[in-house]
Amino acid sequence: MIDTYFGTERLDTPGAMFAALVIGMAFGFVLERAGFGSSRKLAGIFYFKDMTVLKVMFTAVITAMLGLSYALALGWISPDHVYALPTVYPAQIAGGLLFGVGFVMSGWCPGTGAVGVASGKLDAVVFLMGVVLGSIGFNEVFGAMRAVGLVPGTHDSAVLGEPAEPQSAFGMSRPLFALLFTFMAVGAFRLAEWAERRTGGGGKYLGSPFLRAMSLAMVVFAAALFLLPADSRSVASGATPVSGTSQSALLQSIEAAEDHIEPEELADRLVGGEADLVLVDVRTPAEYAAFRIRGAIHVPLPDLPAALAPYKNRGTIVLYSNGMTHPAQARDLLAQMGYRNAYLLTDGLTGFAERCLKPASLRGEPLSAEAAAKVKAWRAFFLADAPTAPRTAGFAQSPQPAASMPAQRIPGLIDAHWLADRLGDPTVRIIDLRAQPKYNKSHIPGAVCLNPESFRGVVGGISSMLLPADLLARHMSLMGIRPTDTIVLVYGNVPGETDLGNGVRDATLVGMGLERLGHVNWAILDGGFAAWTAEKLPVTNALPDVTASQYSPASQPDGFTVDAAYVKSRVDDHGAVIIDTRPADFYRGEKSDEARAGHIPGAVNRPFKEDLQTGEQLKSLADLQAAYQALVPSKDSQVIVHCRTGHQASQTFFVLDRLLGYKNVKWYDASWSQWAARPDLPVTR
Amino acid sequence: MNRTNPEGLPSADLDNQPLPYWNPYVAGLLLGATLLASFLVLGAGLGASAGPARMGAFLEQCILPGHVAKSDYFGHWVEEGKSLLNYYLVFMFAGVFFGGLFSAILGRRIRPGVERGKAFGASSRLLLALCGGVLVGFASRLANGCTSGQALSGGAMLLNGSLAFMLSVFAGGYLAAWFVRRQWND
Repeated sequence: MIDTYFGTERLDTPGAMFAALVIGMAFGFVLERAGFGSSRKLAGIFYFKDMTVLKVMFTAVITAMLGLSYALALGWISPDHVYALPTVYPAQIAGGLLFGVGFVMSGWCPGTGAVGVASGKLDAVVFLMGVVLGSIGFNEVFGAMRAVGLVPGTHDSAVLGEPAEPQSAFGMSRPLFALLFTFMAVGAFRLAEWAERRTGGGGKYLGSPFLRAMSLAMVVFAAALFLLPADSRSVASGATPVSGTSQSALLQSIEAAEDHIEPEELADRLVGGEADLVLVDVRTPAEYAAFRIRGAIHVPLPDLPAALAPYKNRGTIVLYSNGMTHPAQARDLLAQMGYRNAYLLTDGLTGFAERCLKPASLRGEPLSAEAAAKVKAWRAFFLADAPTAPRTAGFAQSPQPAASMPAQRIPGLIDAHWLADRLGDPTVRIIDLRAQPKYNKSHIPGAVCLNPESFRGVVGGISSMLLPADLLARHMSLMGIRPTDTIVLVYGNVPGETDLGNGVRDATLVGMGLERLGHVNWAILDGGFAAWTAEKLPVTNALPDVTASQYSPASQPDGFTVDAAYVKSRVDDHGAVIIDTRPADFYRGEKSDEARAGHIPGAVNRPFKEDLQTGEQLKSLADLQAAYQALVPSKDSQVIVHCRTGHQASQTFFVLDRLLGYKNVKWYDASWSQWAARPDLPVTR
Repeated sequence: MNRTNPEGLPSADLDNQPLPYWNPYVAGLLLGATLLASFLVLGAGLGASAGPARMGAFLEQCILPGHVAKSDYFGHWVEEGKSLLNYYLVFMFAGVFFGGLFSAILGRRIRPGVERGKAFGASSRLLLALCGGVLVGFASRLANGCTSGQALSGGAMLLNGSLAFMLSVFAGGYLAAWFVRRQWND
């Protein structure tokens, strides 16, 4: 299975840029070799004198079409790993007509124009300048065009609002359409050669053995597509109509029980730690929370296609419920969508409990010593960290304790697997802090979207202050979060690049809000959303069902936020280590966005970025420990962190308070934007 | 330079003559292979018009800072801390230029000038190229792609809208061809 840059959301990484550059070079080289560095040759098609454009273009389209069809049908690549342009007829037809007029006027199109410039053609330079101007012109009139309804549909959901879907092959089966298309192209080649001969332009391949052989090969390859498995032919669209053959293949595979996996086999593979095995619990969230097979993720039935897309025909997917009915429906649906790696757990959770987890001593028939040892090992593995013992009669003697709340606070940073193991648990709530369009495109199942800035506002005349607890509680209620829930914060980042978004500090800022509310159980997904996708864990674009809760605000003021007067008193009595987390040039006063430049007297500088490593991820605990040990040797010392608005400093607060265990950390939220604006407060440079 | 003797025949210096073009079908097969590689590696087809469009957005941002972020179309391309040119299709467009340059040098086909019929003025030809360019730039944004992204790549994926685009390009071209035929008259 090929992972494309698009399919793994890495199209914006340096690797993809380099691949695009190399592919572009091959593209440009071939265009030039074909003669497309000449506008006269390009325009020739419109006068039937030189049909090179038609020959090159249709040969290329048929070649790539056949190649892609085979790659999909043979399972080399999954359809959702190839970006398909949405279909918006009005925009594409009007655009095509205008494009054609521009093409024949100029004799260039954008790709060939670049080759024309490389060949020294001044008309190509002028043409490309026109393209740049035309693009700018489109940008300028786009809003007006949309306002008067001139752009009725949409081609780019991010641009035009409502999303459009790609459609392919005009409702025909893919091989049928591909064959017709190939016949048409082959016919067009003959016609083109004939037309060239008529206008005296050439036509030297008319009736040549080369053209005949190529045409025949194209038709044979297109016809052979009918022989390949039907279910993976469609490109980049969700469910495809089920053809008769795949329907019967499905029935056959069910009859042969090829779609089942026995509990013992599943147990062994799970104990063996098989990495590519995805175990999916399709029961209700409450049932999942009460007991699940270790390692199972929870996905409600309607979300299955979206959540399982990353695992399509990759590894093994095992579905289970209590019995067999629900997962059988789900498994059939998946099979119809082209999944060839989805299996059912025979007899469901009931069977698993009966055959794998029931203690040997309780069984009707005696077990061999070997089998008894196996059951013991399975029980040790599957019942070790179960949230609760299953409430079935056979388990009454189970040594596991009843449900218990975690006595200790969860770690500040959790990894993707920690979260994956708790997916579907209604008491574990995920807050996605990325921009809304990214969230809507794909997010961790069940996550709600929150703009971190909605936790801040003008308080007492100072901007960008963390809101009071009652307003924060309102936000929590609207997200349907209860005070007892465990919250996981997911920030945005792009692997391999730093500082593209606000990354970790968005999560720590929201964390300050949770701390103010007295919400104890929260953690940050280490590495952010990218850490989740890197593990190929399920994502969805489905919005979660959220019922508003009644989150009551903490009545006490938080114990960590301090104001200017407090900081001033510590400056005077040298009672605290003040850490200025702004970039070094701001600390030194060489740069300033505020009323005065410089820093608070006695403050030390530890830019927040020093705590980050590539990919917007916090450095290792050991590195952080060493760095802060040098700044603040005793964990009992008072530390005050500040930056310009409190955002960056929230990250340092998290590192000191939550990760390193400093006991007395304060946060000067109003920060430098207030300090610099108050002439009564001292500043040094 | 393209030196010709009075009879219009190539000069004696054969080393300086351009190499013949490839068989168009061979070029098509290799172009198809390039497109297939793009599908399998990038997970997206070829694209050219996004390159100049991004450059347009970039230029507009240089001239009118702040305007682009607020504009209706380019605004969606703006990401904080990231250049508008930091996009894979901009790199692909640069690749097309360098690939074309490489081939043109090897093929001895670099011929500076304005390509036109002998009976047609250079400035008129440049005006047509400019106007055609403006139409192409506008139409590529409207249709969300050009001959590379829509016709070639979308066509190879048998996408309905891309095939409609391809037919429309030919329809528009053939309808307008008669009006601009004189630029190629010798």
